[in-house]
Amino acid sequence: MKLISRTEELILLAVLRLQEDAYCVPIFDYLNGVTGKKWTLGTIYGPLYRLEQNGYLESFLGNPSTERGGKSKRFYKVTPKGLQALQEIRRLQDLSWDGLSGLVVDET
Amino acid sequence: MMKQPIKRPPRIATWMLKSILPFHAASHGPGDYEEIYRRMARQEGTFKAQCWYGSQVCRSTLPFLVNSIYWRVVMFKNYLKIAVRNIVKHKAYSFINIIGLALGMASCILIFSYVLYELSFDRYHENADRIYRLGLRGRQGEKVISIALSNAPTAPALIEEYPEVENAVRFYSAPKTLVEYGDKRFYDEGILYADKTVFDVFSWPMLKGNPNTALTTAYSVVITAEMAEKYFGDEDPMNKTIRFNDQEDYTVMGVIDHIPLNSHFRFTMLCSFETMYAQNREHMEGWVPFNYATYILLREGQDYKALEDKFPAFIEKHMASVQQALGGALEYLLQPMTQIHLHSTLEYDFSDHSDITYIYLFIAIAVFILLIACINFMNLATARSSKRAQEIGLRKTFGSNRGKLLSQFFGETMLYSLFAFLLAMTIAYFTLPVFSSISGRSLSLHYSEFPWFLPGLILLTVFVGLAAGSYPALLLSSFQPARIFKGRIKTGGWGLRFRNGLVVFQFAISIFLIIGTGTIVDQLHYMKNKRLGFDREHVIVLRIRRSRIQESVQTFKTDLERFHGIASVAVTNHVPVELTSTDACVPDGYPEGQSSILIRSMAADEDLIPTLKLELAAGRNFSEEFTTDEDDAVIINETAVERFGWDDPIGESLHFRVGSGLDERDPKTVIGVVKDFHIQSLHRPIEPLYISNNVHQLAPNYLLVRIKVGSIPSTLAFLKETWQRTDPDRPFDYSFLDDQLDNLYRAEVKLRTIFSYFTGFAIFIACLGLFGLASFTAEQRTKEIGIRKVLGSSIVGILFLLIKEFTKWVVVANIVAWPLAYFALHRWLQHFAYRTDMSLYMFLLSGILALLIALITVGYQAVKAARANPVMSLRYE
Repeated sequence: MKLISRTEELILLAVLRLQEDAYCVPIFDYLNGVTGKKWTLGTIYGPLYRLEQNGYLESFLGNPSTERGGKSKRFYKVTPKGLQALQEIRRLQDLSWDGLSGLVVDET
Repeated sequence: MMKQPIKRPPRIATWMLKSILPFHAASHGPGDYEEIYRRMARQEGTFKAQCWYGSQVCRSTLPFLVNSIYWRVVMFKNYLKIAVRNIVKHKAYSFINIIGLALGMASCILIFSYVLYELSFDRYHENADRIYRLGLRGRQGEKVISIALSNAPTAPALIEEYPEVENAVRFYSAPKTLVEYGDKRFYDEGILYADKTVFDVFSWPMLKGNPNTALTTAYSVVITAEMAEKYFGDEDPMNKTIRFNDQEDYTVMGVIDHIPLNSHFRFTMLCSFETMYAQNREHMEGWVPFNYATYILLREGQDYKALEDKFPAFIEKHMASVQQALGGALEYLLQPMTQIHLHSTLEYDFSDHSDITYIYLFIAIAVFILLIACINFMNLATARSSKRAQEIGLRKTFGSNRGKLLSQFFGETMLYSLFAFLLAMTIAYFTLPVFSSISGRSLSLHYSEFPWFLPGLILLTVFVGLAAGSYPALLLSSFQPARIFKGRIKTGGWGLRFRNGLVVFQFAISIFLIIGTGTIVDQLHYMKNKRLGFDREHVIVLRIRRSRIQESVQTFKTDLERFHGIASVAVTNHVPVELTSTDACVPDGYPEGQSSILIRSMAADEDLIPTLKLELAAGRNFSEEFTTDEDDAVIINETAVERFGWDDPIGESLHFRVGSGLDERDPKTVIGVVKDFHIQSLHRPIEPLYISNNVHQLAPNYLLVRIKVGSIPSTLAFLKETWQRTDPDRPFDYSFLDDQLDNLYRAEVKLRTIFSYFTGFAIFIACLGLFGLASFTAEQRTKEIGIRKVLGSSIVGILFLLIKEFTKWVVVANIVAWPLAYFALHRWLQHFAYRTDMSLYMFLLSGILALLIALITVGYQAVKAARANPVMSLRYE
C-alpha cells in the first residue's frame, strides 16, 4: 500500500476529529492551531483533492449559507480505506520510534 | 455595540481567486475564503480581514501559476510538434500556403516601400514642416490658371510686411545652358538661381565653402558634388571660374552634397540671385513677369492658412495695376512643401511630380494581393479541416476547450505566416533593386523618416496570421467530438459555400486587376497614337538657343534645306512639347472693361505649318510676299476662334496687354486659322493659341527639321557636320520630336509596368490557391470518380464534372468585378482630357483570360483524377 504524506496524515486526522463539521474552514483552523504555522487555504485544497481521488476521503456538498456569500460547504468523511491508511502510517511510525523515544526526548 | 454591516471582500481579489483556483476547489473554495474573511472582519476589523484575504490570494497565486505554466509549456510543445508534422506531412499544401503568403507579403512590402518613398519626398529638410511654396492663381471668368511661380519683389515684401514670415527664397530656373571649364564643355540642365538665404531655409549640407556668404555676390555659383567631379575631377573647384554660354563667368563659391532623389528640386548648380539684379535691375524690380518660384519659411507655430487669408490685401496693395492689366483676378496661395510631390497640380513645376491617386491605387493593390493570399490560406485550411477533425475530437475528449483549440490553430497559422514573412523579406530584399529600377526610385526597406516601417511589417505578419487563420480556427474548434467520432463531419454545406464565395472574391480581384492593366495599356496606346493634329514622326529638334547658329539662323536654315534628305526646316521659339508662355489679349470689338482672354503664344516662321504638317482651316500661311506679316500677322487655332466668338476670324485684330504699365502692343491681324493641334500632353485640353511670325525678333530657339523617310543616319551626319561648321565650339544638340512626346507619359508607362507586374503576382497567387483547392477536391472525390468510371463514365465526362465546379465561380467573379472595374477606371480616365473609351471587348477579354487561367490550373488536377485507374482508387483504404 502506498504511504500517505505527513500533510495528508494531518488532514485525515483533522477530518476524523471534526466529524460532522469537517469542511475546509475548520480543517484550516485546526491545522493552524496544531502546527502553529500560517497555512493558506490553497495548500490544503491540493491534498484534499488527492485524498479524495485516491479514495481515502469522500465528500458531499452542504447547503449554501449567507455567511459564505451564498456558497456551499464541502464536507469530508474518512473512508474505511482512509482509516486503513492512517493505521498503516501509525504502525510504521510506532515501529520506527520503537526504542528511540528516550534519545530524542533527552535532547529537547 | 452596534453590529456593523460587513463589507464584501475586495472584488479584484475575489476575481483573482476565482481565476486561479483549481477546478476541483471551484465549487466550495470561494465560500471557504469568504467565511474566514467574515469571521476575521467581525473579530479584528475589516481592514485586517482584507489584508488577510489579499495575502492569501497572493500566496496561493504563485503555486497555481507555476503549475499552469508548466502545463502550458507541455501543451505548447505538443502544438508545435503537431504543427510541424502537419507542415511536413502535407508538403504540397504547406508549400502552396507559404509560397502564396510569402509572395503576397513580398508584394505588399515592395509596394509599401514605394509608397513610403513617395511620401518621404522633401521631408529631409530640417524645416520641412515650415516651408511653403507660393503659388499664383489667375482667374478669368471661368478659366483658371495656376502656376508655381510668382514675381521677384513679392518675397522681400512678404518678409518685411508679415512678421510670421521668417525667411523667403526665390528660385529662377535657367534653360539648358552650355557650361565650360577648361576643355570640358557640356550642356547642363537644372541650373537654378537662388537667394543667398537658400541654405538657411533648406538643408543642403555644404561640403566646401561658407553657406552664409557663398551666394552673396553676383556671378557666384555653388555646385553639387556631382558637378564638381564632372568638371573638376580631382581638382579643387573652390574659387575657380566656369563660363556659361560662352558669355558669363561664374566663380565657384561652394560645393554641396548630392541632392537627395526624394526631392522635388532637381538641380546641379545654384547661382546667386544677385546676378539677375546685376544683369537687369529694372526688370527684377517690376511686379511682372511671374518667373520665379518663391519658398517661404514660416515661424514656428504659425498657420499658413492664416497667412493665406492676408494675401488678398497684399495683392490689392502691390499688384492692383497688374490685375487690371491682365484683366483678371490674381490670388496667391501656399502649398506645404512636403505636399508638392503628391498633391500639386500647378504648372511650371521644377520636376514632374506624382499623384496621390497613384499612391491610393498602389495601396489598394497591396491590400488586394494580401487578401488573395490570405484567402488561399483560409480556403486550403477549411478544405483540409475534415482531416483534422479526428485530432480535434480527441483533444476535446481529453479536456481541451474551445479557447485552447483556438489558440492552437491561430498559433499554427502564425507559424505559417512567420515562415512566409521570413521568405517574403528575403524575396523583397533581393527583388528591391529590380523594383527600384522599374519604378525609377531608389527604394529601401528602411526609411529614417518612417522608423515604424519594419515593426509595422511584423505587426502585419501577426495580422495576416490572425486573419488567415480566423475562419479555419473558428470552424475547427466548433466541431463536436461526438459527431466527429460517429462519422465524418461533413464539410459541405455552409463551409463549401463559404469557400466558393472566397474563390469568387479572389477571382473578382484578379479580373479587376486585369481590366485595370488592360485599360492603362489602352490609354497609353491611345495617347501614343492619337492624332495630335500634326505629324510627330521624322522630325528632329535642334536646340540653337544662345549659340552662334542663332545669329546666322537664316543661312544655316538655307544650308539645311539644300540637303536632299531634308524636306523642310522651321524656326520656332517653342517646341510643341514645352509649355509655352501665356499672354493676355483683347480681341477687337470686345466690350471695354471686359477681362482679357488668356492665350498661349508661339512664334515661328512660314515653314512651321508644312514642317509639322499642320492643317489650315481658313486663311493663309505666313508668307514672305507680305512684308507686314512679320510684325502684324498671327495665325490662331480653332479653339481661340471659338473663345473669341468670331464667325469669320480672318482680318480681325488682337490687342495684347503686356506688363503692369498697360502698354499695348500694336494690334495683330488674324490671317489664318490652323486646325487644333496638341502642343501639350494629352492630360490637358487644347487651349487658345496664336502663332506670330516675329520669331527672329523674339528668340529663334529651335529648328524643327522634317527629314525624308529612310535617310535618317546620313541626314543626322549632315546636320552634325553643318552645325560644327557654323559653331565649332558648341556640341551638337538634337532630339527626335516623338521621343520628347513619349517622355510626357513617363508616369503612365511606369504605372503600366508596375501594375502589370503586380497583376501577374495576384493572378499567380490566386491560381496557386485554386490549384490547391482543386487537388484537394479531386483527392476527396477519388472514390466517387472510381465508381463513376466503373459504371461507365467517360474521362471527358469526369473532366467536365470537376472543371464545371470551379469555372462556374470564375464566371460569377466576372459579374462581380465588371461594375467595380468600370467605376474605378472611369474615375482614373478623368485625369486625361483626351481618353480612350472603355470597351466591352476589354471586359470580355479579361473575363475569358481569367477563365482560361482557371481552366488550366484546375485542368491538370482534373485530368490526373479522371485518368486514374478505378481499381486503384476503389481499393484505397
